[in-house]
Amino acid sequence: MAKHVLIVDDALFMRNLLRDVFESAGWNVIAEAETGLQAIEQFNTHQPDLVTMDIVMPEMGGIDALKKILTDHPAACVVMCSALGQERMIMEAINAGARDFIVKPFQEQQVLDVVARIFAA
Amino acid sequence: MNIAKYRKMFITEAAEHLQTMAEQLVRVDADPEDRDGIDALFREAHSIKGMAATMSFDATARLAHHLEDQLSDCREQGQIDSGMIDRLLAGVDLLEGLLEDIRSERPEREVDGFIKTLAADLEPVSEAPDPDAEPVEPERNRLRIHLRLADTVTAPGPRLLVLLKRLAEFGPLHESTPGEEQLLQGEISRTLSVQLETAVSQAEIHQCLQRYRELTEITFPSAPPEEKSRKRSVSSSTSVRVGTDLLDRFINLTGELITNRYLLQGAASEKNWQELNEGLGQLARLVKDLHHQVLQVRMMPLASVTGRLPRAVRELCRSSGKEVQFTVEGASIELDRAILEALNDPLLHMIRNAIDHGIEARGSIKVKAWRERDQVLIQVVDDGCGIDPEQIRQQAVQRNLISPDQAQTLRKYDIFQLICLPGFSTAGQVTETSGRGVGMDVVKTAVERLGGVLLIDSTPGQGARITMKLPLSVAIIRVLLIDCAGSLMGVPISRVLQTLEVSPQEVQTSGKQLVISLHGEAAAVVA
Repeated sequence: MAKHVLIVDDALFMRNLLRDVFESAGWNVIAEAETGLQAIEQFNTHQPDLVTMDIVMPEMGGIDALKKILTDHPAACVVMCSALGQERMIMEAINAGARDFIVKPFQEQQVLDVVARIFAA
Repeated sequence: MNIAKYRKMFITEAAEHLQTMAEQLVRVDADPEDRDGIDALFREAHSIKGMAATMSFDATARLAHHLEDQLSDCREQGQIDSGMIDRLLAGVDLLEGLLEDIRSERPEREVDGFIKTLAADLEPVSEAPDPDAEPVEPERNRLRIHLRLADTVTAPGPRLLVLLKRLAEFGPLHESTPGEEQLLQGEISRTLSVQLETAVSQAEIHQCLQRYRELTEITFPSAPPEEKSRKRSVSSSTSVRVGTDLLDRFINLTGELITNRYLLQGAASEKNWQELNEGLGQLARLVKDLHHQVLQVRMMPLASVTGRLPRAVRELCRSSGKEVQFTVEGASIELDRAILEALNDPLLHMIRNAIDHGIEARGSIKVKAWRERDQVLIQVVDDGCGIDPEQIRQQAVQRNLISPDQAQTLRKYDIFQLICLPGFSTAGQVTETSGRGVGMDVVKTAVERLGGVLLIDSTPGQGARITMKLPLSVAIIRVLLIDCAGSLMGVPISRVLQTLEVSPQEVQTSGKQLVISLHGEAAAVVA
């Protein structure tokens, strides 16, 4: 059965890009969210296998959303998706329990590599 | 032979030969029939072999010998193909790893696997795990793991942190360089060495790590951890070659300082104030001289950083399918080694930017360095599509970084500085071809941390020019002290353009901002 992913990013362009990458790899994009608050809501509704989480977003940022999701669902699998130069924030996210990260701009293969190694184990 | 005495000398010299080999390989790649180049490579491999054999570093000698054989074949054929270059580069990497082992007084790592794959004309597997090397017991086992990230990996810190957390899932980590804390505090490293206590087999861990394509090196050094080798890895001090003339000057200076001490002691006991005064004057001169000479020892040519760039350019060209002619000018300019070390990543960032976003299908990138008084200027120039100030202006307004009014009044210089704001062009990055903000904030931060300035200039359609203005040395920075509303602040002298007295009448307001007129332009008043 296809795995479910929740895509969180405030930019429509990035969401579409990620959607294409995941769908062409056989994933089911179960929902999208534009803010951290929406991300938490969508996660609770759908309990996806994977979340790609932007860091800088309006209303609530990706790191706060990550922490909240992990508090309620410790096994949640979240991959951060951030711009270069946000190393500190990526570190904070990893320390808080994000599984891996992708640096924008990325290539399709980089996303698939990250996903592959998370679900290989 | 007294190995210890020569070990350092061997390491320094072998490292230089390897550096030359890596550079030469990239050069020969551009001109595969360069016979002189192939000859030079052969000689380098030959030298390393000879030195290593003399020192009884058998694995190093064996591998160098093997590379020498391959190069000998190339010499006979009068050319070298790109696949061979890849294999030889991998061989050079492995030799660097061996040097690391020797430096840390560990047994040399295994090389026969590499030699075999090379001989069998297979893709180079730089580190095939040797199941015999480390008998894997079913019980918990202490495993030493050494990882190296490719030079082109973005965000090395977070990447190592992910790896560290991944490894910790296999069992408790007993030692890690750098450690988690250091990484979180922003320490930048491209290597990770850990000791892992685990029931999982080495082969299984190796397989897991291989999924991280960012890793260029995965090794399992087999030596048991020794107090001695650990101490070394902590300090990991690099050795410096110092000319004997400089050493002589140190000895002379020390001699004079000793004489000076006796003079001062004598003057003090006799309470001869005049002599004491003279002696102190002499001491001041000597110390200043000594400081100057010591700074000299810290100076290294820019080549020690730029030498690695051609190879990175080659890798980037290969992955992006672009063709770039890369040149370095002024590689002999000398800078403080602390500055040079901090320049590694920024230079790489700038070149990656130029290739990813500047250069279209083909073009050229030039790194130029020169001295201007007590500053060194390093410039990265490309002839790609350039940066469009209009587009930056629009994006900055869209992202609410500046108001439309401000956008109209900003000078071109300030417009370009906008791309250094963290995450400035993240969204535009992928949508538009011109996005060039990748990590420019990282570059700017690094340059400013060194007390330098970053200047960006570009003409759309004609390329971009990014200049780093850096102090020669970071040991002592002259500052201008400013007393402002009871707070004392220091500004590096190199960053001060001008000091001037401003009378209250000259201060005008522009919106909420206080400004003064400076050289016909409005300059903001901070306090």
